[in-house]
Amino acid sequence: MKLGWKEIKKSKTKFLILGSIIFLVSFLTFVISGLANGLSQDNAALIKDLPDGHFYMEKDAKDTYNLSRINDSKQNILIDTGKDAASLSIQMGFLNDKEDKQHSVAFVTSTKSGLFEEVQEGEVILDSSLKDEGIKKGDILKNNQFSGDFTVKGFVEQKKYSHAPVAYINMENYKEIYRISDMQLVFVPGKEKMQTVKDLKAYSNKEFLNTIPSYSVEQLSLNMIIWFLIVISGMLFAIFFYMMNVQKIGLYGILKAIGVKTITLFSMMWSQMLLITTVSLILSITLSQLFNTIAPKGMPFSLPLTTTIQLSFLFLVIGFIGATLSGLQIKKVEPLQAIQQGEV
Amino acid sequence: MTVFTIEEVTKTFTNGEVEEQVLKGVNLSLKEGEITALVGASGSGKSTILTIAAGLQQASTGHIQFEGQDMMAMNSEQIRKIRSTEFGFVFQSSHLVPFLTVEEQLLLMLDVAEIKLTKQQKENDVTHLLKQVGMEHRKDAYPASLSGGERQRVAIARAIIHQPKILFADEPTASLDSRRSKDIMTLLRELTKTLKITTLMVTHDEEMLPYADNVITMKDGLIL
Repeated sequence: MKLGWKEIKKSKTKFLILGSIIFLVSFLTFVISGLANGLSQDNAALIKDLPDGHFYMEKDAKDTYNLSRINDSKQNILIDTGKDAASLSIQMGFLNDKEDKQHSVAFVTSTKSGLFEEVQEGEVILDSSLKDEGIKKGDILKNNQFSGDFTVKGFVEQKKYSHAPVAYINMENYKEIYRISDMQLVFVPGKEKMQTVKDLKAYSNKEFLNTIPSYSVEQLSLNMIIWFLIVISGMLFAIFFYMMNVQKIGLYGILKAIGVKTITLFSMMWSQMLLITTVSLILSITLSQLFNTIAPKGMPFSLPLTTTIQLSFLFLVIGFIGATLSGLQIKKVEPLQAIQQGEV
Repeated sequence: MTVFTIEEVTKTFTNGEVEEQVLKGVNLSLKEGEITALVGASGSGKSTILTIAAGLQQASTGHIQFEGQDMMAMNSEQIRKIRSTEFGFVFQSSHLVPFLTVEEQLLLMLDVAEIKLTKQQKENDVTHLLKQVGMEHRKDAYPASLSGGERQRVAIARAIIHQPKILFADEPTASLDSRRSKDIMTLLRELTKTLKITTLMVTHDEEMLPYADNVITMKDGLIL
């Protein structure tokens, strides 16, 4: 540890360059992770915020909830089994304000449940992002498929679906707009074993999220970038420490000749890696959390501290593996070879 | 008193199908506190016997006894332990650690040799020895800022700070001019005599021979 720190003090530039690269890669990873999480919330907060449970969809719908139709009798079998179980439907649509400006929304309706907003006929509860578009409580909104008006009863925080704000409406109004009496889905909260209902297929929350095409493709791309950056950072560690170790082969040989243990040399490298990575990560975490608080409101960015801590841990593990792999050459260094090489 | 003996040591290097025997049965014994110089033409095997004796490479056959222990029967960890506690090394180049100051080079050696002293005692020992080698005024300097002679003085100090029983010196004056070489040899002799350190030194410089108690000449892998 002492040796490692002394080398860092003497060769500040070398270690500063390595630290800067780790900082930049980790910061980029945190930002992309924040973006992935933000987009994920923007795409499916309605589903993600639900407790663990099971979604039921018609088998013939082939994993496309829009094509699913579940009649009342099948709905009742499932709803009766659990508290807060509800049948629900989600459809993309529009609401027009008093100036006839169109607002894209995701209409959501459900049977009575503590998990979804309860709305009376002619009322609508909106996601709070619509406040930014000038909509206020008490405003009258219209839909060209609906004979009546919707009065804005209130707002809910962070309820989005498919990048559109959610609009909770009463089931009767939903049936009138979409001219359909069956519901698309039934959600039964709880970790109990899923139930078998004829012609229905059950999905866990995660499985259901992956049936939403825009969600799975978007998350797959972003997660691929995140993993790619993590692997790159591991390779960077391996390459940097390899280059530094190659430069120091003579020194390692001399230290071995005078009796320094190989494990001491590894500890020197590990302590350097740990120190540089920790300092770089602390800086990255601080900046990314600062960015989390000052990011523009419309920007889909969400970076919980737990996510950055989990990613940081991953960085440390990857850094350790990268440095250790590159350090395997330390084990092979022969003192005699180093002595014959001349001055280190 | 004999502290180190080498009996019938051979060393054969294999290069593909070609075998070359560089040591052909070397016998040697070192007496406590004496300086033994190994001389000989290039390729005579003098550096090979020094590195084998120092535990830096293995002999093909033969026996090496240090204080009654058979070094040929020891594993690498036991040999490392002996190198760090009982042996000291001075190389042709000083081979100092570039990121440690003069004082830290010596403190590192005390740590490696696992010398049980307080921090203050260690610092006192280091200061005392640096005074003896005339380097006390440069104790905070890094190797890059030292002259060749100064570096070699520090290397000698590092080699004996833990009071080893045997000092192995491989051409310790090869990189120095004549005047500095004599200074270094005078210093080496003074210190090893004071501390009763047995020394095995390889040199090709005949001017260094008067500083040795015994001179052994090697030729073609044999002692003459």
